[in-house]
Amino acid sequence: MTQVSTLSPAITSLVAASATDVVKLYGSGDTAVRALDHVSLDLLRGEFTAIMGPSGSGKSTLMHCLAGLDTVTSGSVSIGDVELSGLSDKKMTALRRDRIGFVFQSFNLVPTLTALENITLPIAIAGRKPAQQWLDTVITTLGLADRLHHRPSELSGGQQQRVAVGRALASQPEIIFGDEPTGNLDSRSSGEVMGILRRSVDDLGQTVVMVTHDARAASFADRVLFLADGRIVNELREPTAETVLDRMKNLEG
Amino acid sequence: MSSAMRMVSTRNLAAHRVRLLLTVVSVMLGTAFVAGSFVFTDTLKGSFDKIFTTVDAGVDARVQQKHSYDPSVPRNLVAQIRAVPGVHAVEVHAGAPVVLVNSNGKKVQPGGAPSEGGMWNAAADSVGPVPSFTSGRAPSAPGQVVINSGAAKKGHLSAGDRARIVLPNAGVVDVTVVGVYQSEVETGGYIGVLFSQQQALELFTDGKHVGSLDIAADPGVSEKALAANIAKTLPSTLEVRTGTEARADDQGGVQTALSFINYILLGFGFIALIVGTFIIYNTFSMIVAQRLRELALLRAIGAGRKQVRRSVLVEAAIIGVIGSALGLAGGVGLAYGLHALLDALDLGLPSGGLVLGPRTAIVTLLLGTAVTLLSANAPARRAAKVPPVAAMREEFASTSAGSLRRRTLIGAFVATLGALATIGGVTSSSASVGASLTGLGLVGVAAGAMMLSPVLAGWIITPLGKVIGRPFGSVGQLARTNAVRNPRRTASTAFALTLGLLLVSGIAVVGSSMKASISGIVDNSVRADYILGNQSDVGIPPAAALAASKVPGVGSMTELHNVSTLIDGKHRVGTAVDGPLGAIVKVDMKHGGGTPTGADMLISSATAEDNHWTVGSRHTFSVPGRTSTVATVAGIYADNQLLGPWLVSGDVYRTVTPVNQRADIVVLIRGAPGADLSALRAGLEQATNDFYVVSVQNREEFKGQVASQIDGLLTLLYGLLGLAIVIAILGIINTLALSVVERRREIGMLRAVGMQRKQVRRTIYVESLLIAVFGAFLGLVLGLAYGSMFTRTLRDQGLDTLSVPWGQALTFLLVAGIVGVLAALWPGARAARTPPLEAISAS
Repeated sequence: MTQVSTLSPAITSLVAASATDVVKLYGSGDTAVRALDHVSLDLLRGEFTAIMGPSGSGKSTLMHCLAGLDTVTSGSVSIGDVELSGLSDKKMTALRRDRIGFVFQSFNLVPTLTALENITLPIAIAGRKPAQQWLDTVITTLGLADRLHHRPSELSGGQQQRVAVGRALASQPEIIFGDEPTGNLDSRSSGEVMGILRRSVDDLGQTVVMVTHDARAASFADRVLFLADGRIVNELREPTAETVLDRMKNLEG
Repeated sequence: MSSAMRMVSTRNLAAHRVRLLLTVVSVMLGTAFVAGSFVFTDTLKGSFDKIFTTVDAGVDARVQQKHSYDPSVPRNLVAQIRAVPGVHAVEVHAGAPVVLVNSNGKKVQPGGAPSEGGMWNAAADSVGPVPSFTSGRAPSAPGQVVINSGAAKKGHLSAGDRARIVLPNAGVVDVTVVGVYQSEVETGGYIGVLFSQQQALELFTDGKHVGSLDIAADPGVSEKALAANIAKTLPSTLEVRTGTEARADDQGGVQTALSFINYILLGFGFIALIVGTFIIYNTFSMIVAQRLRELALLRAIGAGRKQVRRSVLVEAAIIGVIGSALGLAGGVGLAYGLHALLDALDLGLPSGGLVLGPRTAIVTLLLGTAVTLLSANAPARRAAKVPPVAAMREEFASTSAGSLRRRTLIGAFVATLGALATIGGVTSSSASVGASLTGLGLVGVAAGAMMLSPVLAGWIITPLGKVIGRPFGSVGQLARTNAVRNPRRTASTAFALTLGLLLVSGIAVVGSSMKASISGIVDNSVRADYILGNQSDVGIPPAAALAASKVPGVGSMTELHNVSTLIDGKHRVGTAVDGPLGAIVKVDMKHGGGTPTGADMLISSATAEDNHWTVGSRHTFSVPGRTSTVATVAGIYADNQLLGPWLVSGDVYRTVTPVNQRADIVVLIRGAPGADLSALRAGLEQATNDFYVVSVQNREEFKGQVASQIDGLLTLLYGLLGLAIVIAILGIINTLALSVVERRREIGMLRAVGMQRKQVRRTIYVESLLIAVFGAFLGLVLGLAYGSMFTRTLRDQGLDTLSVPWGQALTFLLVAGIVGVLAALWPGARAARTPPLEAISAS
């Protein structure tokens, strides 16, 4: 089963991002590796999706392709109503800047900029002024009001990742992608960051997709997709840490 | 050192070719200039040696005057020497600089090479082989000359053509070219005009003396025995040199001139090396920073600190050897290029193959390797301090290199010492002490500035970046913060440019002040309407001055001559004047006054003070073998650049100067009241036209000519310093390229969150621009300050007007900015190619 929750065309406006029959090959000929094998999926607006799977299952590749960081070998990917294949680098970059937010495993903040400057960086790059009201909302959500003028090196890992989430939220993107956002954090900080992402979905109406191997982190999602060998093999709604772990055991077993 | 560690070093070099290339290039450039200067001067020396070996072939002894002021060889001595036992042949020399004018009335330009008139000596009167003729025959009567083939080709002259020869004392001589001779080795552009014996003696001697004698020995007579025999017949004003000594004298004279060139070129070579040192240091610092994890891993699996340090030093040694070997090759190329360039400029260099001596190779290789090892030493020590646990850490700050406090304190101390020395120098009353103290101060301040520059970088770049970066918004902000992110690195990258700009702008101030000072002298003290000058070595023939004096509209005419003589037994050089002085030159008389006439002598205040001469003191002008005379000091004038240390009348000049050496150095002419100046000019040009070498200039043109000479010299210096700038640019490229590698992950993240490629490039451009402008600004400030202070210490040496070329300084700054952007093109393009996925993939 590779088809999951494909919606009828009438309600595509509810879809924040979608992949249709996506194949991703690395290398060529005999040594080619099929990282994604005819994957199709829709990510709904206002939903928090976690993608899980064992190492080499293609979960990171899927997210990179969805986020426009990597190209697909065949099939199509859309963000909102924009089809990604064939976009120029310039348009793709602008799309990432204006409609996508990223949270990376290793925070990836600019060390020379303050927390606030990092949060508003994508907006500044676009040459726009941040919407103050929204920014205040984001900062309140992050709980970082007193650390805004500190450099990343003066912040703890959890605080840095909260800044990174703030950066993703600041430009009110269509969708936020997280790449193991809790991978470098202790469990307390993980909980805080996941809590913020959860609230951004519940309170601010954000769409969030993240790749993770942490069952507890996945339990914050509305929906968990399981990948193995480049295919979506399972789906779980209203997950708990236990149900996620169960499914993972089945996958690996 | 274990072979495993050596393998790590060599594999590392092989794995990072771009990094290797950039470092090698910076070593290469520094050493290339050193090697090039050696090759260039060795080549010139080799060529000149060959020329003198040919010219002096067959000379076993030479008879010449002892001092330049002594009278030369009496003619009647020639017969006496021929009679000396052991003498086989005597070759008489008599000659002077001349100008050759071809049949179309065009001067044949020798470029920088000599243009000489001389005497044709037949085989019987020669000590060496007689030149062969490519066409025609030897001169046998007055009015006949032979010229060398180079001159014939350049002047489009062949046997049978009419030509004119301009001589300093005799004016213009009409001749027929009867032959073209071939000289085996000669400097490019050399012009040789040989007259018949009789006419050469008429033109180039006073009739009683000839230039010098070359003597060949009978078979079996040694040089020494020959010289000893000849010495017995000589008066005290003459000396005899053996052939070996004579050749050494000739070569030694050139050698002194060449070693001066060598020192200048080497000076630039060392500047290039110092600049290169910063780049090598920077590169190794960054290489170590980027390899921290790998080095820590080596430490974790058991490599000792010493081994880690050595592995970095081995890399440095390999780079040093490769870089300086390439530098050696580059030096040969540079010497070739310089030779070709100077040839194209017609500067009269001898032709000949490039000489690459063992000294050049050894010095270049040792210097290049030593400099590289020294520069890599501090980074290597830092590498050895990497804790093994760093291998396990996810991220580490590659920029931490300890506090800047110590460096800043030492820098401030050294700069203060330098400033104190400078204050001492500028306030010193002696020019030489002042200049040396100021020079010492400059070294101190520059060294201090180098140590302070990380701190200065923060102070200057931050406000500068806010202004320059403003139009670029967040890109500008990122660029500014990146530029001061690692102040040490920024400082040493920028300092290469600082050093180059310091020298360039310092020289610019002195050059501009020189022009302003000369302009000031001409404006303030020369009242002439027209100045007759000479365009060649030959001076202004007195006949030309005489012709000019008869032009209608000439109110007064003043001729100045150089006098070289013995005064009270001491050799001195001064000036003689014919015609009214005060009317044409402003002279500030302290005592007495007037134009020196008869046996009068005027002296400058400095001369009076140094020699304790006073008004009324009498001084004997006497050269052994010549007429002597006594002059009385009639007045003392304030030091005057134009008149020199002392001034005598034309009468004294003619008494002490043989007729064949008399010429005017400059003739100053003032129009008669109410005369039409343009008509006067036309008249002067017409009157002097037949002498070919005389130029008629008004004061503005005269100033322009002097200014253009200074500009020519400055251009040459700028060209040489350009090399330091080139190395500085490479340094910026190197630093930026390595920074881009270091920041790959960050740049990937910026691309992922939506920074366009164009914006990435622009960030690098602005960063580079800021670094370059910072370096240039620091150099300009120091250069302008020290140029001004040097000018001040030399105020009594004629640099009495300080002129700071602000426009030029601004241009330098703009050029530095452009250079910065150009240097960032390649690193910028590399950065822009960083895929956004870099942000995610593990480092």
